[in-house]
Amino acid sequence: MKDSVWLYPKLLWTFARNSLIRDMTFRSNFLIEAFSSLVWMVMNLGFYLLVFLKIEESQAAGATADIAGWEKPEFLVFIATTMIVNSVMQAFFMPNAQELSELVRTGGLDFALLKPIDTQFLVSLRKSSWSSLSNFFVALLLIAYAVPHLPAPPSLASWLLYPLYLLCGVLIMYSIMISLAATSIWLGRNQTLYDFWFYITNFSRYPMEIYQGNVLGDGLRLGFTYVLPILVVINVPARVLAKPFTPEYAGLAIFALVATALALVGSRWVFQKALASYRSASS
Amino acid sequence: MAIIQIRGLRKSYRVYQKQEGLLASFRGLFHREYREVEAVRGIDLDVEQGEFVAFLGPNGAGKTTTLKLLSGVISPTAGEATVMGFTPWQRANEYRRRFALVMGQKNQLWWDLPAAESFRLHQQIYRLPPDEYDRTTAELTDLLSVGKLLNQPVRELSLGERMKMELIAALLHRPEVLFLDEPTIGLDVVAQHKIQQFLKHYQETRGTTVLLTSHYMKDIAALCRRVVIIANGRLMYDGSLAGIVDRFSGHKVLTLQFADDAMPTDLARFGEPLDVQPPKARIKVERERIADVLSSVLSGYQVADVSVEDPPLEEVIAEMFATAEDVSDSQELAAVST
Repeated sequence: MKDSVWLYPKLLWTFARNSLIRDMTFRSNFLIEAFSSLVWMVMNLGFYLLVFLKIEESQAAGATADIAGWEKPEFLVFIATTMIVNSVMQAFFMPNAQELSELVRTGGLDFALLKPIDTQFLVSLRKSSWSSLSNFFVALLLIAYAVPHLPAPPSLASWLLYPLYLLCGVLIMYSIMISLAATSIWLGRNQTLYDFWFYITNFSRYPMEIYQGNVLGDGLRLGFTYVLPILVVINVPARVLAKPFTPEYAGLAIFALVATALALVGSRWVFQKALASYRSASS
Repeated sequence: MAIIQIRGLRKSYRVYQKQEGLLASFRGLFHREYREVEAVRGIDLDVEQGEFVAFLGPNGAGKTTTLKLLSGVISPTAGEATVMGFTPWQRANEYRRRFALVMGQKNQLWWDLPAAESFRLHQQIYRLPPDEYDRTTAELTDLLSVGKLLNQPVRELSLGERMKMELIAALLHRPEVLFLDEPTIGLDVVAQHKIQQFLKHYQETRGTTVLLTSHYMKDIAALCRRVVIIANGRLMYDGSLAGIVDRFSGHKVLTLQFADDAMPTDLARFGEPLDVQPPKARIKVERERIADVLSSVLSGYQVADVSVEDPPLEEVIAEMFATAEDVSDSQELAAVST
């Protein structure tokens, strides 16, 4: 059907619009949410700036400070990338993933299953929390500030690849999140989602070079790159923009694309499996 | 071919048997006892296009489970069903565009937004052409007289008003088959009546096939010619409402008004005295004895007035449900396993 191509983008727009209307209804709540996530990010940023100050103090004058090979402007790009991925996740996917557990427990998922559209789409994108996007704009400012200070200015290719790999990062995170959320269909209730999310993002928001050079580091790095690819999420896009392209990372960049595809297929499989065993709650 | 066909439909759940107390809960972390609960135990049913069928049964009888199976919300343990040629639990979009499920106990409208916003979302989800959508919305809001409430957040509506909005949301895409699960639950008499009237009118004018579950006999008497009784996960009766009494009640109620002091003292020999207030008495009499009892009373005593009635429908059904539950209790005890 001709209009079916536009059905999902149109629905997405309506979901987003309805969520915005609802968010605006509770104005103070909206502002407090935006403000608190902003403060949290500024504190984080301040912490890393302090670390760089400490490193500079302990080094010989004139030497360039770095964390695991990332100089300050590069690291700022890294932090900005973290903020972008996390704010998109929290604005669009987190509210829905959290609600899925509730929908399962109360039986509200019944209605989602009745609708003649893809259930995973409906459940994943129905609600958005616009206030969480405040960090997204801060991150853009941060990039605007950091990029001119980079040791090597990004090429045109870098600018083109950056959004692509940001998207890959978001999709990998989404796949992990929806798979975790889908387990609540089997378990009847799974409210550990937020905890899991915290553990996972905690690992993903550091440069992968930190996990290197000894058995523990290599183990973590390989595991979180190739088994559960969360290190790819921030590291690949941040590197694409902040660092000059080297052949040794081409492999990782290609792997990121494969990992994204596999994560999406895998999470779809988990979600379908879970739906098939949905029990629905009383009446 | 029947629009709804059900063959040997079964659904059972494995339920964790939680023991009372902290120690037992701790033990439950390692070793759990499960019980197999059979919600639906093999149902066969055919419903023709345009029928309005009521599902009647006690709580936990399997009515809602059956509706959920037919809506494809859950999958059966065994058996088959087709609705308009589709197997519901395959959840085909073509199928989902052609039916609707309304549940009186759950709401699907966005709580913080006006109902109109939810309707517009449905317009997109079901891909309704704008003119058709406008016409249907206007018609339905008019019939249910809720036009003024469309732009009020759903959380500010009364239960009755919300139920009407839920009905509109479910009917916007003009479903050919409609499943109604206790649509009037918790409503006052006026709102109940209004919704009954609406459903009756809607079904008659559009010829929609409707399956309704309800605890209110009034809903059923007003709407459905065909009644299906489900108890204990099985189909116990399929026919008219009046036929229930003929089938399940083995007795009639005989009301006698005796002249002055003519009332006999040994009424028990005619049947079971229900209510004795001389000179009036109500006696429950087995159906096959009614002719004999009547003739001997009339020939032996001076009777001023007499009437023979069927027992009230509610009573017959309640009695039937009670028997069904006894059977189910003994079966479930046997089914407990570890």
